[in-house]
Amino acid sequence: MRRLPRYVRVGLLGGFIIIYLTAVGMIAAFHERNIITGVVQFSVVLMTLVYMAAGYLAARAPKGGSPPLRPTRDALIAGAVGGVLVGVFVILMTVLADAGYTPRDMFIAITPATLDILSFDQGTYLSLPVQAVLGAVLGLAGGYLSTATPNVRSTVTRAISATLIGALGAPLFSVMMAGLGIPSRWLFRSEGLTIVGTVFVVGVTLLLRWYLLRAGGVRNALDRVPGVTRKNVNVVTWAVVGVVLAVLPWIVNTFVSDVLGTVGLYILLGLGLNIVVGYAGLLDLGYVAFYAVGAYSVAVLTARSSFLVGADVTNLAPDGFMNFWVAIPLTIVIAVIIGVLIGAPVLRLRGDYLAIVTLGFGEIIRTLVLSDWLKPYLGGPQGITEIPSVPVGPFNARDPRILYYLILGFVLVSYFVSTRLKYARIGRAWAAMREDEDVAEGMGISVIKYKILAFVMGAAVGCLGGAFFAAKLSVANPGSFTLLVSINVLAVVVLGGMGSIPGVVVGSLVLVGLPELLREFGEFRLHIYGIILVAIMVFKPEGLFPDARRARELRGEATVKEPVPALAGAAE
Amino acid sequence: MSHLLELEGVSKRFGGVQAVVDVDLYADSGEIVGVIGPNGAGKTTLFNVVTGFYAPDAGKMTFDGHNISGLKPNALTRLGMARTFQAVRLFNAMTVLENAMVGRHTRTRAGVWGALTRNRRTREEEAQITEEARKALSFFGNRLIGREDSLASDLAYADRRRLEIARAMVTGPKLLLLDEPAAGMNPAEKEELITQIGRLRDEYGYAIVLIEHDMPVIKGVCDRVAALDHGVKIAEGTYDEVASNTQVIEAYLGKAAAAQREGLA
Repeated sequence: MRRLPRYVRVGLLGGFIIIYLTAVGMIAAFHERNIITGVVQFSVVLMTLVYMAAGYLAARAPKGGSPPLRPTRDALIAGAVGGVLVGVFVILMTVLADAGYTPRDMFIAITPATLDILSFDQGTYLSLPVQAVLGAVLGLAGGYLSTATPNVRSTVTRAISATLIGALGAPLFSVMMAGLGIPSRWLFRSEGLTIVGTVFVVGVTLLLRWYLLRAGGVRNALDRVPGVTRKNVNVVTWAVVGVVLAVLPWIVNTFVSDVLGTVGLYILLGLGLNIVVGYAGLLDLGYVAFYAVGAYSVAVLTARSSFLVGADVTNLAPDGFMNFWVAIPLTIVIAVIIGVLIGAPVLRLRGDYLAIVTLGFGEIIRTLVLSDWLKPYLGGPQGITEIPSVPVGPFNARDPRILYYLILGFVLVSYFVSTRLKYARIGRAWAAMREDEDVAEGMGISVIKYKILAFVMGAAVGCLGGAFFAAKLSVANPGSFTLLVSINVLAVVVLGGMGSIPGVVVGSLVLVGLPELLREFGEFRLHIYGIILVAIMVFKPEGLFPDARRARELRGEATVKEPVPALAGAAE
Repeated sequence: MSHLLELEGVSKRFGGVQAVVDVDLYADSGEIVGVIGPNGAGKTTLFNVVTGFYAPDAGKMTFDGHNISGLKPNALTRLGMARTFQAVRLFNAMTVLENAMVGRHTRTRAGVWGALTRNRRTREEEAQITEEARKALSFFGNRLIGREDSLASDLAYADRRRLEIARAMVTGPKLLLLDEPAAGMNPAEKEELITQIGRLRDEYGYAIVLIEHDMPVIKGVCDRVAALDHGVKIAEGTYDEVASNTQVIEAYLGKAAAAQREGLA
């Protein structure tokens, strides 16, 4: 059989994607989410994007092939083919349901209501022409984008992205505007943009784009302003970042502050793991061990139910064994000792073997904590409760805002430590070891010493995450220290870009912050999480915010002069 | 008198294979010793034993007055031994300059505290590391200088070999072990390399032991040549002595060919 023309294949793929989104229930769920309130729902936007993508792909040259002769026609057909497929699907499902075969046994999301969304309430049989026309028009639009100049293309993409970000972030933004005392009713309504808001967002995007194009980019635009040099632009940028970080908890609500605190914990964990995996190249799948060590150390040392003060859950002592701030250095010491204990036996192992053994260590720590043997000390499955909040003078550290500042402080310190270590003799030794362990040893680096050092530094940073976690939740129990935590932290590091310090921040925001803020996507969080992870690994394997030279190595790009790492420069 | 490097009866066995058998070898400062032999003769294994990558099964090894049997590679680097690898092994994701800087590791001390505080001693040490690294890179003229910020993986093959030597020089060695430094180089590059290896001996006073398959290179630089076959040292002497040794010719060409050559001569 001859292969179908490319535009047909692309169109069919688009149709299948929409059917898939319907079958898993995303279309139905996202129909509740406004983009432009009362006019466009997120479900419609998804369909639009799929059709446009189909048209876009159909009109451009396949990888290593020549561009299509009639791109506009191809794009139109691709969209229409996708639309017809979706229409056929709607009709088929209805007919099957009428005949008594309910696909809903398997796909509970394929309800008449969902099918109505696909047919835009035009009834079963009209769904086919409706979808076909919609697909054709949008496919054409995608095809037009594909053949348009890069300038037009990026302008349109930006306008669409800005609208989506504005609409999906509406709950967050309206809270922030309320915090700043700016009225937001004209911009946002029912968790979406108003029509005026949409015009405003698109208008601002276009204006900004027009201005920057005319000025020839941000840099040039700034250079033209008298008295502005690159250096004070950097200073101002960091100052703005600093001010934003400082006032952030007061312009968002406590829920968002709480989310930011969680993001901060993951940044701490990520920075720690980044030292082990990113710098030294030791794949540690049991990093949760240090998270647990941090949490349990603080718990035992400060809780009113701790055995150290002769108490238990039913018989609380008036005070913990020591103050949180005294417990922190001690916690780091304990984590360092555990770091050596875990690091030492796995020194001889490499790569996969190391990963498996560390995986085991992570589980060993959790099992130990759960065990009856240590139950009198660590509380077994119940864990340790009654952990006091962090004492900060007159402030109440149960307030997520206060916790935010504390965690921010520790993140900044860890950020600084990570940066300094990376651009030093130690950082070079780790990098050499990561690249080629034998040769590093041959060049005089004691592999044993530097492996242990990596585990120790990783443990010292990561345990802080655990310490704050315990103080934040006031409990430490084994349920919080599962393998999934190790995997999440590793995903943060890999997604941001291995060895990249800003990458850890970006990775945490995307993987930890976004899902919390997009709670309404509920059951699809993990689904979307997975799609994002796969997409990034396919299209941007070096990570979102990669270390400059690793990006070059992975991309095989021509050598360029390396930009000075922003923070390393700023720190001097 | 004792030599800088002295091997006595060194043996290494892998399962049933005797890779190195009872080898004696020495090297002194300011001399270049070539190690030749057919493929699988045990040359690289001998290197790996000397540089601590393998522990010898038997024999005595001294370096600069120290007994070095069983020492690890990093300890040997500290004592003043540096090597290159048969298949170029650079730190690919690091820049040219950083590759060379890593070589300075054993001669410097900055630890966690120095890295975090970046105190004056650390800054001075970093400056000194950079200087040493640049000095070694400039040994190869403008081949590596000017490309300090390139990734090692972006270098041309011959330059990668040169960077390996530069990295070894930065460790501040007394003895340099070069494993097939000319492999993959074109004739012009080999000529250049021969001069440079000579300069390493004359200007830096290194003792150099090199493995090489390329006979013109061996002939061009070596003060003394040792030939291995099946792990056994079968000849040692000047290049001409070794090259005319019947056992060496047999090892390379086989018995029949050697006999034929005898007959012709």
